[in-house]
Amino acid sequence: MPTATVEKQPALAGLPPSTSVTSPPRPAAKAATLLIGLDLGTNKSCVLAGSPGSSDITVSKVVPSVVGYVRDGIVDGIITGNAQILFGEEALRQMLHVELVAPLAEGVIARPDAARDFMQHIRLLADPSGNADIRAVVGVPANAGEQSREQIRRSALGIFSRILLIPEPFLAALGFRDDARVKQPGYVDPVVNSLFIDIGGGTSDLCLVQGYFPTREDQISIPFAGDAIDEIIFGELNRTYPNNGLSKITIREIKEANAYVGPSRKPLEVKVVIAGKGRTLELGDAVGNACNVLIDKIYPALTTLIASASSDSVVTLLQNIIITGGGSQIRGIDTVLQKRLADDGYESPKVRVAGQDFQRYVALGALKAARAARENQWQVLLA
Amino acid sequence: MGRVYRRICFLKAEGRNGEARKIEDTDLVAAVAEARGSVGTEIEAETRLSQVKAEGEALVTEAIAYAEVLVPMLTDRLRSLALPGAAAAPAAPVKRRKAEAPGESRGIADFIDEMLAQDDKPSH
Repeated sequence: MPTATVEKQPALAGLPPSTSVTSPPRPAAKAATLLIGLDLGTNKSCVLAGSPGSSDITVSKVVPSVVGYVRDGIVDGIITGNAQILFGEEALRQMLHVELVAPLAEGVIARPDAARDFMQHIRLLADPSGNADIRAVVGVPANAGEQSREQIRRSALGIFSRILLIPEPFLAALGFRDDARVKQPGYVDPVVNSLFIDIGGGTSDLCLVQGYFPTREDQISIPFAGDAIDEIIFGELNRTYPNNGLSKITIREIKEANAYVGPSRKPLEVKVVIAGKGRTLELGDAVGNACNVLIDKIYPALTTLIASASSDSVVTLLQNIIITGGGSQIRGIDTVLQKRLADDGYESPKVRVAGQDFQRYVALGALKAARAARENQWQVLLA
Repeated sequence: MGRVYRRICFLKAEGRNGEARKIEDTDLVAAVAEARGSVGTEIEAETRLSQVKAEGEALVTEAIAYAEVLVPMLTDRLRSLALPGAAAAPAAPVKRRKAEAPGESRGIADFIDEMLAQDDKPSH
């Protein structure tokens, strides 16, 4: 098993190579090891941390995946501690005074410099002392290419000592699994026979999980998810209410509060402030039509994976279709997909959403993987 | 008219708005006029036109969605067939592994081993 990234990689702009001839930094004597499970999302990231050999989760945070670089000329005292770089909610709060940069797009790193700063922030969240030796399992989109994976490794150089990249929908299955009930009769282990649909901001990933590690053919990643829905709503709003001046951040908030699929739900009245004045916009069709496009994108991938399951597993599989990620919060998404499958003749399908912990399942699965990984399975990050 | 409208939808989906507008201004106008002439009342004509439009949009959306899924899979398959020596080997049927039977417990580390073994295999 490889224990270091020694293969040659094509040059990637903005970051040092993940391999070099220098020796790995030796952590301080007796530095505690900390394990991190990281769901690096396009819009929101989730980090869970804990010690090896323990089941406790010492850190659990969901952070907007955004970095804010303070603009030149900001008066002292405006930014807390006169910080030069802000992250997550704090960056969004100070958006007037910072340049907001999204490190990721469509599930992969788009801005390597911001990604590195963000990783450093994640590290500090997990280990405020800055002294721990950190090993991280990081979720990647289904079928992510080697270049995307290498960018994640490079963004973590000098920040984590070891890393392991695992596809997100499989981590979602691991995280969703109730370990206390695995041996109970009647409990259906999601890792044994299920189909996970992880709908994030940049990608919607589908994965067949049937008791073995999913192959490439068991996974489909669709570059259409929350951000694409926002774009459609944004365009429709500008068409219906020209010069509304609403930002994409506001559009996203409106969507997250009102998203639904299925037949049109009208009126869907949303109060906003435009040019200082309160207005009520009717958004029923705009939101519904945009979200229904997601169903049209997901459904063919869903039936493709169902068709690839063996005949002796497919009936049980159809009972275990689970939606997770931010998209699981779209009202009616489970019933609409289930009905569509039933109408198309599939045998007793059952589609359900993962529940209120939808933001944590990938990171939870990643932390479980970090705790279980053998020493020779980790990749050493040389810096 | 349905065929013309689907063509317009495809062009717009590909960002070829200029070509789409050209067809809207020529072929679609002619097709709509012909369709109106073949249907009884104005209301029936409008209903039929709306129906054709909705069906066309739905078909195009679904076709694009299927293409997004199938094209990468077909590309990989064609690429593997183009490799030297591949022509000499008979095409193996795609074997789908049976789902794990309940009771057969496998650790997470075992799954990671499988993942790393897949990563070590050359991609086609």
